[in-house]
Amino acid sequence: RAMCSGKLQTGLLVAGYFVYLLMGAAVFQALERTAEKQEKMAAAQMKKAFLQSFTQLTVVEMEQFVKNLTEAIQNGVYPVGNESQFEESNWDFSNSFFFAGTVVSTIGYGTLHPKTAGGQIFCVFFALFGIPLNIVFLHRVGKMLSLLCKKLGKFLYEKGMRKKKIKFLTLLFFLVTGILVFLCLPSIFFQKTEGWSYSEGIYFAFITLSTIGFGDYVVGKNSDRNYFSYYRVLVAIWILFGLAWIALLFNL
Amino acid sequence: MLLAAYVGYVGLGAAVLRALERPVELQAAQHLLQERWELLANHTCPQPPALQRLVEGIIQAYKSGITLQGNTTSLGRWDYSRSFFFSISAITTIGYGNLSPSTAVGRIFCIVFALFGIPLNLVLLNETGQLMLLGVQHCAHHLEEVFHWQNKTFLMMKTCALVTGLFLSLLLPPLLFCDKEGWSCEEGFYYSFITLSTIGFGDHVIVMNPDHTCPSWYKNVISLWILFGMTWLALVIKLCINFLD
Repeated sequence: RAMCSGKLQTGLLVAGYFVYLLMGAAVFQALERTAEKQEKMAAAQMKKAFLQSFTQLTVVEMEQFVKNLTEAIQNGVYPVGNESQFEESNWDFSNSFFFAGTVVSTIGYGTLHPKTAGGQIFCVFFALFGIPLNIVFLHRVGKMLSLLCKKLGKFLYEKGMRKKKIKFLTLLFFLVTGILVFLCLPSIFFQKTEGWSYSEGIYFAFITLSTIGFGDYVVGKNSDRNYFSYYRVLVAIWILFGLAWIALLFNL
Repeated sequence: MLLAAYVGYVGLGAAVLRALERPVELQAAQHLLQERWELLANHTCPQPPALQRLVEGIIQAYKSGITLQGNTTSLGRWDYSRSFFFSISAITTIGYGNLSPSTAVGRIFCIVFALFGIPLNLVLLNETGQLMLLGVQHCAHHLEEVFHWQNKTFLMMKTCALVTGLFLSLLLPPLLFCDKEGWSCEEGFYYSFITLSTIGFGDHVIVMNPDHTCPSWYKNVISLWILFGMTWLALVIKLCINFLD
């Protein structure tokens, strides 16, 4: 009976975690999208005005243009290309979900961030409850991973090894397989999907899993590439298990 | 002892990164200046492709943290205080990203630096957290002896400490930032929380505005605030976790 309630608890936690993320994503999207639209319209108008007056362009006008452009970029709008790119939003649902994930895991890339005051305040409270939730969640996932280690330990014990040696070997095994699965393999994967070099992939993997998250490299942001539909989901799963692995490493 | 090692470690990282990043940064900035002056030279008729290139160039520059305003670019991003701040952002896992290594060597160094720095940071935070809790306990004992209150003192002290921490970490600093950085109070609060929780988006970062010169005490106060604020927030989150478990 105790086991049943334990499983139920875990199930509820997992469900709660995802519901939390989904809710957060929806709220972020709701808060940020309209502001983004306005920025885009302003940027388009700016470009129009520039083209109309290029026959007599002075340095002062150019300076002004550059300044306006920089402001647009700072607000996350890249005014390159024509109107057809208007429809793509930084704050569509999958991007918002990914954003909510980066908040809760404290990675915080920053390539996407709330600009409205409402979005920012919501972000603070969302993180205040989301971060503990994330930690508890990772703890449970980590426990699952450690069960594998325990099985290996049992196997070695039955073969007659001493306890100290078993502990050392399981730790080593855990470390090495983790590095292969969470750092080396994904980097090869990113080479294919993102066109990064292998070392860039490792850098990205490390910066992400350590939750530093500079944001200089982010998956799925290259507009020239075609990503298959479950790419981001795969990356999210990788981040989840990778973080759990690291949390477990600290506990061992 | 630990604190000295910590500060020394961060300083070392800052120095190394600065040495690695600055020459590359200078080169990139020169290159961009040249491009822009070339465009201006043909200003009588900038064609759409030229415009496109200008825009893309500005975007690229922005992504590398260079802003093209005025006659010069904002050089010297990797000066010492900013490199120091960068090291802090790496070890504490805040990771703003407005400044990040662009050379391959810089990145490798960054990885190794963080690999040892993050556990170091965690140990320090742990120690500081223990000290804080001890301090609260001492105060509670003292009050018990002086006023002869019974069981409630510890709980009261804890609540008191929690609220004080809230003020010092999240409610007062925004006022300081409002004045020094020119943000609104809400932005200051948002920045404080995003920093202390180590999320660190990098959309708001202090000390990064090249037009501002800040007094020397400002940076020291900020570093102290980050350390103690992070400890406080970590304790609060631990409380939340215990509540959830």
